[in-house]
Amino acid sequence: MKNLKTLNVLVVAAAAAALMLFAPMPGAGQDKQKGGKGGKGKGGPPGAEQYGPYYAAPVTAGQPVGKTPDGQPDMQGFWTPRFNQAIFEIQDHPKAQPGIGPGKGAIVDPADGRIPYKPEAAEKAKELLTKQIYLEPEAHCYVSGVPHAAYQQFGYQIVQPAGYVLFLTEYAHTYRAIPTDGRPHISPNVKLFRGDSVGKWDGGTLVVDTTNQNGKTWFDMAGNFTTPAIHVVERFTPVDTNNINYEAVVEDPSIYTQPWKIAGQLGRHPDQNMELMEFACVEGNQDLVHYTEGVGGKAKEKGALTK
Amino acid sequence: MAGQAYKAPRTPEGNPDLQGFWQVMNTAAVNLEDHIATLGMPAGLSVVVDPPDGKIPYTPAAREKQKENYKNRAKADPLNICYIPGVPRAMYLPFPMQIVQTPKYVLIASEFAHTLRMIYMNGTKHPDVALFWIGDSRGHWEGETLVVDVANHLPDTWFDRSGNFHSDALHVVERITRTEPDILTYEATLEDPQVFTRPWTIRMLLYRHKEPDFKLLEYECNAYLEDAEKESQ
Repeated sequence: MKNLKTLNVLVVAAAAAALMLFAPMPGAGQDKQKGGKGGKGKGGPPGAEQYGPYYAAPVTAGQPVGKTPDGQPDMQGFWTPRFNQAIFEIQDHPKAQPGIGPGKGAIVDPADGRIPYKPEAAEKAKELLTKQIYLEPEAHCYVSGVPHAAYQQFGYQIVQPAGYVLFLTEYAHTYRAIPTDGRPHISPNVKLFRGDSVGKWDGGTLVVDTTNQNGKTWFDMAGNFTTPAIHVVERFTPVDTNNINYEAVVEDPSIYTQPWKIAGQLGRHPDQNMELMEFACVEGNQDLVHYTEGVGGKAKEKGALTK
Repeated sequence: MAGQAYKAPRTPEGNPDLQGFWQVMNTAAVNLEDHIATLGMPAGLSVVVDPPDGKIPYTPAAREKQKENYKNRAKADPLNICYIPGVPRAMYLPFPMQIVQTPKYVLIASEFAHTLRMIYMNGTKHPDVALFWIGDSRGHWEGETLVVDVANHLPDTWFDRSGNFHSDALHVVERITRTEPDILTYEATLEDPQVFTRPWTIRMLLYRHKEPDFKLLEYECNAYLEDAEKESQ
């Protein structure tokens, strides 16, 4: 192991660098749109499409969906999300913002591709966008909420032991465990970053109901915030061994005038022998030094908030 | 475990089934060695079963370093700044863990900071290019026992709150056996010639959580640390 010693610094630096790719730097949005390579440290395969800071597997037809030993439709393996540029902003965002290039979001209802905010909530989102450089939750290494976890950077691995569907994400080296045994949600008094998810199979579709989120996560980097009243119903429909259709309906009467819906696809990663690396977010994170608003924060001095 | 009578039920692929929610009921997270109580920290007996005196066989210099770590533990314990705990520390924190098994992997998900351990069961070797906070785990079955070889450790993790530590030469071999329906016997042998004079072994029991609909909640350490820092300003 001794020969590896000098690599310590590299590992930590790699984690920090990966985060920097994701954490917005003033004027860096354009670069991210073209330059990202994904969490594996190698570029996408030929034909791969660029989505946000990671690549997505090219769309290729697969075989009919198989079954796990306990009879669930088999979605196991490594997946890359195709959700346009939703990871930057979930709404359509034709105009560039500091740190966020123009692009399409993932909202399919309402048809204008925008979140149906109530007026005061729209004001709040607009205000947060101006401060996203240091308020964006992932720059603080918070785990993503739902549905953000479904279009997480670097993609994820799905495993399906009996009675569960697990999503293992490279980002922040974390997991999401969804029981499919018909149990109810936990007490509404317990709020969690990732919320409480329960799943069931509706024919060939995994339906995941998520409540109990703590309102500290965002949908993206652009200030589109959540509250603890959020309720999300996701539908994962494997269409063949290489493709999963994804939909999520988001409701929160406290800030939206109507429920809204996002849609995207998951493509099977061409390398199914890959291994998730350790994205040690907290350990490599320099962002708090640079971006926090409080003591030690340098965002203002650096002019990061100038528009 | 040699001479063991209990035989665990099997997974569909024929391996002992270790799945479920598990947690220790000891104070190894405070100190692996014998320790008296301190404020907020209960007393406990050593979980070191070899050497028989229950003491970690440090070199003299390393013992001095451990004592210094102990003195500075409030600031120096990597867990206090929410770093990934490493192995074996991840296994005896006072937080529940979920073990799940697929034909290729054994996964250990801890409630502490959403920490995920992936144990590869497909005969692959440790990568030679990287060190990890949680190490790199490759396992195989020896009868009833899951044997996990853990290497590629970053040197920055500790074993407990008392400053017990290692270098990047650490090599851990874990042996996990379902010795009763609701008990896993956990054993780990630790070698690190830079810090210890000989290999040593810890052993403890993990108990099954049997509450109905039990599930992992979350302990997002870094978020609470940030809150605490804000409050103290």
